[in-house]
Amino acid sequence: MKTAAPAKTRTLNLVTAVNEALDLSLASDERVMILGEDVGRNGGVFRATDGLWKKYGDERVVDTPLAEIGIMGSAIGLAVNGMKPIAEIQFDGFMPSVFDQVVCHLGRIRSRSRGKLSVPLILRAPHGGLIHAPEHHSESPEAYFCHTPGIKVVIPSTPYDAKGLLLAAVDSPDPVVFFEPKLLYRSAVGEVPAGHYTVPIGKARLVQEGNDLTILTWGAMTVTVRKAADTLAREDGASVEIVDLRTLSPLDLETILASVGKTGRCVIAHEAPNTGSWAAELSALIAERALLKLQAPVERVGGWDIRMPLFRLEQYYIPDADRVLLAARKALSF
Amino acid sequence: MPLKTLATLAVQRLEILAADGTVDAQRMPKVKDDLLLKMYRLMFQIRAFDERAILLQRSGRLGTYPMITGQEATQCVPPLALRATDWVVPTYRGGGVYFARGMQMRHALLYWAGDDRGTHFPDGNNDMIFSIPVGTHLTQVAGLAWGEKFKKKGGVALTYCGDGTSSKGDLHEALTFAGQFKLPAVFIIENNGWAISVPRARQAASRTLAQKAWGYGVAGLQVDGNDALAVYSATADAVARARRGEGATLIECETYRMSHHTTADDATRYRDAKDVEAWKKKDPISRFKKFLTARKLWSEAKEKDLAQETKTWIDGEVKAYEETPPPNPLDMFANNYERATWPLVEQRAQLEELLKFKGGAKILTELPPTEGRFP
Repeated sequence: MKTAAPAKTRTLNLVTAVNEALDLSLASDERVMILGEDVGRNGGVFRATDGLWKKYGDERVVDTPLAEIGIMGSAIGLAVNGMKPIAEIQFDGFMPSVFDQVVCHLGRIRSRSRGKLSVPLILRAPHGGLIHAPEHHSESPEAYFCHTPGIKVVIPSTPYDAKGLLLAAVDSPDPVVFFEPKLLYRSAVGEVPAGHYTVPIGKARLVQEGNDLTILTWGAMTVTVRKAADTLAREDGASVEIVDLRTLSPLDLETILASVGKTGRCVIAHEAPNTGSWAAELSALIAERALLKLQAPVERVGGWDIRMPLFRLEQYYIPDADRVLLAARKALSF
Repeated sequence: MPLKTLATLAVQRLEILAADGTVDAQRMPKVKDDLLLKMYRLMFQIRAFDERAILLQRSGRLGTYPMITGQEATQCVPPLALRATDWVVPTYRGGGVYFARGMQMRHALLYWAGDDRGTHFPDGNNDMIFSIPVGTHLTQVAGLAWGEKFKKKGGVALTYCGDGTSSKGDLHEALTFAGQFKLPAVFIIENNGWAISVPRARQAASRTLAQKAWGYGVAGLQVDGNDALAVYSATADAVARARRGEGATLIECETYRMSHHTTADDATRYRDAKDVEAWKKKDPISRFKKFLTARKLWSEAKEKDLAQETKTWIDGEVKAYEETPPPNPLDMFANNYERATWPLVEQRAQLEELLKFKGGAKILTELPPTEGRFP
């Protein structure tokens, strides 16, 4: 049953919005189950599943053994066999071990079975850095997943989108990798409707309209980009359009091309290393489809092409507002 | 036809020093008094260090820190059965292992303060940095042991994983290789009862974790992990087997994580304080003190001296850690390749430009010196 967003809204942070979507899904669909490390009694290390184990029991909110391949592979089997598993990998840096399952199976089962089988599961994981976390807890692995056919990749940056996209992911007939920017878990606060509503997968969000420059971004970088845009408006008199992609695969090409077509200049800001990144794909798409609309080369602002350093240097690795600002000025003055 | 029994497994548990300090004289390993005193000293000092590290974290002077309290015997004792040139790979909760290997603990503090310069091990040691994605080092340790086999100098590789990690496929593959190629390796499962909030019982449904060894043609046993003498005896035997070319051993050390998973965790959410109290009675350090005292090797006066010495040592390490100048951001680009590739040369220059934009041209001369190799 899909209804429009009810009028009643509350001010929630992003992790609470995720929790609410999970709660609603467990309540409304008995096929939905949650599995992962520490998601049960402990409520998840970020408390995304807080209270759900107590409410829905050990059979549906399952603390698994510590085994990511086990989580991923069994989620695939459960999904093929009629369940709606929502699997959690505790940190982005622990995701590489599930690649075998993701690359070789998750996105291929539908086509390998000639459409007979599908894998409607959700793989949730925190994303990104800047929370002073230990090593391997601040990664941005979205490009690996976007590169993999057969799966959808989503990353909300507001509580409203987090809940609506997660509920849409539960409805998705195809697997969805759902990244949650950990910097925003508690710092992103906003109005969230009570009850069920969805935000469509595959649609970007226009954060602010502008005429001189488009900045494409996603995840926690959305906040950084807004700061840079404020500075550009104040100091340069530049009017910046910000597009929060929200869904990385499939991209909302229509919104992207409309914006770049309007402004003629584009900066792409994200946390992952630039080489082979999703910004590279965006840049290529814009070059292929909007070359004659461009008045400046597309600028990519990402992490450096080195591993994520330990946290004392993370603010020099993940682009800050100054780096976005410099790239924007380069594009604007070309 | 009647079923034939092909193998009967006898999973054994080794205990030598009871929680009340009494010792099984028959099983007592033949070790010199100096070594016994060294075991005590290491365990005593690392606990005091742990307590200080927690205080530093709680007062905002350290990042997320994984406590080792309660696991001193499983951490500090196995390295004593090794040569410096044997390979050791602990888990991230491995401060006691590194300390027993001679690491300056200022480096451990630096690491947990988010500083890449904290992965500094004593020269001449074959110590390797732990894996944060747990268990991914286990197959590498099989490789390290394999390398020692090629060298034919009796070298051994010893590693740790937790009870949680024993559920990962990595251990299966590491033991498969260790058994198949008869590698000189020792795998210690440091079963501290908890994988963050998930209890040991939620991992393998088997009675012990030690019995996993049988599936791979590897020797296995369980040890009271809070009994330093049993831990030493089992490790020394396993190391000797490995050196003789008789293959790998899996040792399950049953101990208990007395504190939270890390300073970012709150164990009161998921476990009963009564369980923790019960394990307090099995403390590895207090039973060892009783043992040493009964052997006339220890006294309250010596304890007092050690406490004072430990405080001075920790003060010195904390001072050295806190006085370490902040890292130079440009150092991120060092040591990524034997010789830096063009994107890194270009990007390092971009970071210089950014730093100048933030702090003026002078900023580059004011930064701490870079330490790593570039280009």
